[in-house]
Amino acid sequence: MLDQVAEHPAAARQRGMPGRWAPWRPGRPAGSGRSGSRPFTLAAYAVMAIVVVATIYPMLWMLFGALKSQGEFFTNIWGWPHVFSWANFSQAWGQAGLGRKFLNSTVVTGGTLLLVIPFCSMAGYSFAKVWYPGQRWLYYFVLLGIMIPFGVTAIPTLTVTLQFHVFDTLQGLILVYAAQNISFGTFLMYAFFNSIPDELVEAAYADGCSRFGAFRKIVIPLARPGLATLLIFAGTGIWNEYFMASVLIHQNNLETLPLGLVVFTTQHATDYPELFAALTIVTAPMVVVYLVAQRQFISGLTAGALKG
Amino acid sequence: MAAVTGDASLRAAGARTRARGTKQRRQAWLFGVAMASPALLIYLIFVIYPLIRGAIVSLYQWDGLTPTMTWNGLRNYTNALDDPVFRLALRNTFQYAIGVTIAKNVLGLGLALLLNKSLRLRAFFRTAAFLPVMFSFVVCGVLWSWIFNPLFGLADHGLALIGIHSPPGWLSDPTIALWSVMWVDVWKWTGFHMVLFLAALQAVPQDLYDAAAIDGARWWPRLWRITIPEIRPVIALSVLLSLTGAFVANYDVVFVMTGGGPLNATQVALTYIVQTTFTSDQVGYANAMSMILLVLVAIVGAVQLRFMLGRRERARA
Repeated sequence: MLDQVAEHPAAARQRGMPGRWAPWRPGRPAGSGRSGSRPFTLAAYAVMAIVVVATIYPMLWMLFGALKSQGEFFTNIWGWPHVFSWANFSQAWGQAGLGRKFLNSTVVTGGTLLLVIPFCSMAGYSFAKVWYPGQRWLYYFVLLGIMIPFGVTAIPTLTVTLQFHVFDTLQGLILVYAAQNISFGTFLMYAFFNSIPDELVEAAYADGCSRFGAFRKIVIPLARPGLATLLIFAGTGIWNEYFMASVLIHQNNLETLPLGLVVFTTQHATDYPELFAALTIVTAPMVVVYLVAQRQFISGLTAGALKG
Repeated sequence: MAAVTGDASLRAAGARTRARGTKQRRQAWLFGVAMASPALLIYLIFVIYPLIRGAIVSLYQWDGLTPTMTWNGLRNYTNALDDPVFRLALRNTFQYAIGVTIAKNVLGLGLALLLNKSLRLRAFFRTAAFLPVMFSFVVCGVLWSWIFNPLFGLADHGLALIGIHSPPGWLSDPTIALWSVMWVDVWKWTGFHMVLFLAALQAVPQDLYDAAAIDGARWWPRLWRITIPEIRPVIALSVLLSLTGAFVANYDVVFVMTGGGPLNATQVALTYIVQTTFTSDQVGYANAMSMILLVLVAIVGAVQLRFMLGRRERARA
């Protein structure tokens, strides 16, 4: 199963396996507890119901809270609002400057991915499909980064961004995020390139492709599932990142969404419906994107974790 | 699996490329290094260099602002190990990491076992259970600090419904606060581990269970003798992932929910390090504590890395 994650779909199809690892597929009723006994099934449904309530209800509660008036907020705890105060949303949007923060988060996430995806593909290709002395050691050196928790290097990273005059700028944040995603991204791309047969590269050379041409025209199109995994895994992580941003960004108008949300909730600690509205606005796009592309997200994030 | 053929051809192709002569070899070397160099460059500047700098600064007394750094030898380290707050923070970090790892994996595996059959609504359930994975710890932390709010929070009103009118101070009672924060971490990640385990369970060959059924094995022996051994690599990976994550990914949720309080009850290593840097300007000292944390986490990280690489090698063999 683990290997299927990294396996190239074409290779998998040849062996009569499903193209990609697909945990969402209903599939066979495989597995341990094919007891089929009624109490077991009932218990399964009961637990499912509890978990659904525990994950969905807090979200609904947040939405309800965002639509209540100040007075109703403290009296009507559980249910939806009797009177809908839509104005909370526009107030929260303006007060928290969410437009600017959405823009910053988009710029930072997009900019980082524009560095991470080409850099990691190139490095992964270099380690997997170009054969030269010392490549193994270079690869291991890059992998060391997986062991380094970035929280631990946050403070010296701040000093380094000062040295390079990128402290408190979005460019600086992008560079740091990109650097911190190199190790894992390279590992992931290495795994995908490794599953592509070497004969393809050799054949491209024989057809007169340059070294870079073989990479760009032959291998990259085949590695699309790998690129998608990297995009989703790194993208979600960067979009949600708070700690490094809080260390490196201090100007209000450069705050990313998580940073802005924390500042807003600590400064406006009294107007709860408005805070709820702000949180709803921040989470809504994530929920929508997830619902639209949940298969990609579930497989991208878990395959990313299974790391090839 | 797929690499069975790939491995042999890789060696063959490698031999072929190597046999091509000096010029070819130099070209391959140049091309390989050129392709790796953009990644290597930013990795060196923003990961490796800060790490080395941090190690050096940890030997000095420095406020982070003035250019003068005073040599301090290992005193920052001995001070850190004597600092009662840092020791408490380390203790909390361990409690957090271990507790959260056990809870996520036990719950995740339990749910996966329960769901590993064709149930109606299963797809909907997986969608719902995975949803919190998408949110940042900031979002989860803010949301749950409201749920734990004594005035309008769901937790206290829920307890009142079942007749408990003196609810615990979820985030204000020093004996409970850390557990409340840990719960949010578990809430966010359990669905993720459940999906990992579900995928592993679906890859267990059905004939193993059929054979066991002929032998008349019941649920419990089937679980212990077949299921667990078959999915052991995924269990190991899942445990390692949550362990390395929980040691150092706890800053956001702690900072948002309690800021390390009350009375340092939820202070973890990272929150204390950041406090030391920004509120008391002891950058050298903060770096020394970072290095101590790094050593502790790197041990777990090294096991994880070995495991990841080992699996690759095994898959290729």
